Amino acid sequence: MSGALSALRTSVFIGLRQLWERKLLNGIAVGGVTLGVLVLIAMSAIMEGFEQKFTQAILKISPHVILFDTELHAERPLLERYERTRVAAAVSHESPPDRQARIKRPHEIVATLGGVPEVAAAAESIAGMGLLEFGGKTKSIDVRGIEVRAQDAVTPVSQYVKAGALAALETETEGLAVGSGVAQELGLSVGDVVHATAPGGRPLDLKIVAVFEAEIPPVDKTRAYTSLRTAQTLLGRADSISRIEIRLVDPDVAPRVNTALERMFGYDGESWQESNANFLSIFAMQDMVVSFVIAAILLVGGFGILAIQIMIVLQKTRDIAILRSVGLRRRDILRVFLLQGVVIALVGGALGDGLGKLAIHYLGQLKVKAEGLVKTDTFLVREDTRFYVYGLAFALLVGVVASLIPAWRGSRVEPVEVLRGQIG
Amino acid sequence: MGRSDDAPARPRAVSEDDVVDVRGLVRALGDRAAPTTILHGLSFTIPRGEFVALTGASGSGKSTLLYLLGALDRASAGEVWLDGMELGELDDDDRAAFRNERLGYVFQFHFLLPEFTVLENVLIPMLRRGTIARSEAEDRGYDALRMLGLEELFARKPGQISGGQQQRVAIARAVAHDPAVILADEPTGNLDSRNAETVFGVFARLAREQGRTIVMVTHDVDFARRADRQIRLRDGRIVEDTLHGPVPASRA
Ligand SMILES: Nc1ncnc2c1ncn2[C@@H]1O[C@H](COP(=O)(O)OP(=O)(O)OP(=O)(O)O)[C@@H](O)[C@H]1O
Ligand SMILES: [Mg+2]
Repeated sequence: MSGALSALRTSVFIGLRQLWERKLLNGIAVGGVTLGVLVLIAMSAIMEGFEQKFTQAILKISPHVILFDTELHAERPLLERYERTRVAAAVSHESPPDRQARIKRPHEIVATLGGVPEVAAAAESIAGMGLLEFGGKTKSIDVRGIEVRAQDAVTPVSQYVKAGALAALETETEGLAVGSGVAQELGLSVGDVVHATAPGGRPLDLKIVAVFEAEIPPVDKTRAYTSLRTAQTLLGRADSISRIEIRLVDPDVAPRVNTALERMFGYDGESWQESNANFLSIFAMQDMVVSFVIAAILLVGGFGILAIQIMIVLQKTRDIAILRSVGLRRRDILRVFLLQGVVIALVGGALGDGLGKLAIHYLGQLKVKAEGLVKTDTFLVREDTRFYVYGLAFALLVGVVASLIPAWRGSRVEPVEVLRGQIG
Repeated sequence: MGRSDDAPARPRAVSEDDVVDVRGLVRALGDRAAPTTILHGLSFTIPRGEFVALTGASGSGKSTLLYLLGALDRASAGEVWLDGMELGELDDDDRAAFRNERLGYVFQFHFLLPEFTVLENVLIPMLRRGTIARSEAEDRGYDALRMLGLEELFARKPGQISGGQQQRVAIARAVAHDPAVILADEPTGNLDSRNAETVFGVFARLAREQGRTIVMVTHDVDFARRADRQIRLRDGRIVEDTLHGPVPASRA
């Protein structure tokens, strides 16, 4: 048997025995770590669960990139963009001010997009604000004029149709598909005819051909789809296309693709991350706050180990002196206490992982009715092996760091000083 | 690693037979600016197999000397040769290794580890050393316990046996690995006379029957007289060094 190995074995033997003989104190230290890891796992599961659900919800009905009808005049001097009115007056003779912004040659853009490898689908549409009247009630809506099949490839609305059929917009020239919230508020059902108006456009009587529910309240309560032509008439913008919506193969690369497309076509674009920046930044903030909370709890757990270990080292001064006097080295003593910290951390971490798994299970079954950004009737949790690995890793880190000081103190015990104090 | 785990080889002291050779040993303690000299240049040798009683009034420096002989403390000046090794030349790890391999201690307060059984307490120094297998270490541990009449108690914790028994366990721990020198600081000081007699008897037997080299601090005049030799300190100086010659292990 080599000296180093027998030394290690002896440290492990002593460390584990001392740990076991102080079950209560060390149990408290373990409890602190367990709590920290449990909170880490439960909080991560809740946060990520909600964020994931939210992102999925956004992505199921929102395009990944939208090109708007705002032209980017990148080739002009920067200054002009900030003094647009003056410049517009000065150059009015060469470029008569457009009465209404629109995307020029949208078909060409869509055709070009078809050749971009990152792009899965693209669709032209027009968007504007309108007002619906039915049964004495009015409701303002977000009207979208779409080419049904192209649009459905970008944002699969037809999947969420509850009544009627979205395809009817193709045949029914004056048809309208409304969100479930809109239908509910006005008391609409398929077949009803509503009076629709929009500023600057022509009022139309539209027949409800479909009701959809994407389970995203902000969409379900305001959105209405009609054919491109009908929307152009209603909004008074004949032949205008105001946006090109794009679906990507990989939604994560939207910001990069967006920048490239802006440069390519000269129109202002927006990735879904930009469109939802306000929510995503709230998530980022929330993540940070929760990380602080988790860090604080783990820190408290670490202080638990630190305090208890310091106490044990002080109580054990005499025993350390014995061990040193019969030949244990400083590093043997250091190892004894470090090992105890590691074991406390690992046991606490493992318990925390186990309880965390239970917590995720029960949180996921918890019934809650929520209708905010997303609609759900259970707690949104997400389970990920990562959480358990992090839990254990953080516990280990905390355990090692927290037991460093006590272990170091223990290793500095001078047996002769202890003996002098004892015997005099 | 290997080297610090084995005490380094060094030239032997002058006499092959002197297991302890102290030369001009000075130890000063207290604050650095105005240290108090505790030991004033002690010189003596102890041949292998001698049972020495170290006596003197309280505060005369007996424990201080013992810690120096035991590689627990460092001399301020002078040399301590022990089993052919000058202790002042050893670093902290080497001294720990030296204690582990060549020395056995018994202190006034039975210094046992409360979490470990009697046998485990005896084994720990041997386990740390790792030069013999655990089974052999256990055999030696049992032998030592048997010699001290403790074989029945091997599985008990220190809290479950008497003070005299605890002290004998400490002796078993000190002798089980066959050390060059056994150092004992008032091993009977905390015991009633019956237990003190038993413990002293054990030391006497170790000296007589096994030829152990023993340095034992004692206040007991009778015990001191029954050792091979008595060294008496006063204020950090040797004031008496008497050879008694061999005496029976026990008068009882
Ligand atoms: N840390 C210290 N600083 C200064 N002086 C010390 C220190 N420790 C011990 N002393 C002094 O050293 C002297 C010798 O102490 P030592 O413990 O060696 O005596 P002793 O002979 O063992 O006494 P006792 O019989 O009481 O055990 C004493 O006068 C003591 O006061
Ligand atoms: Mg003393």
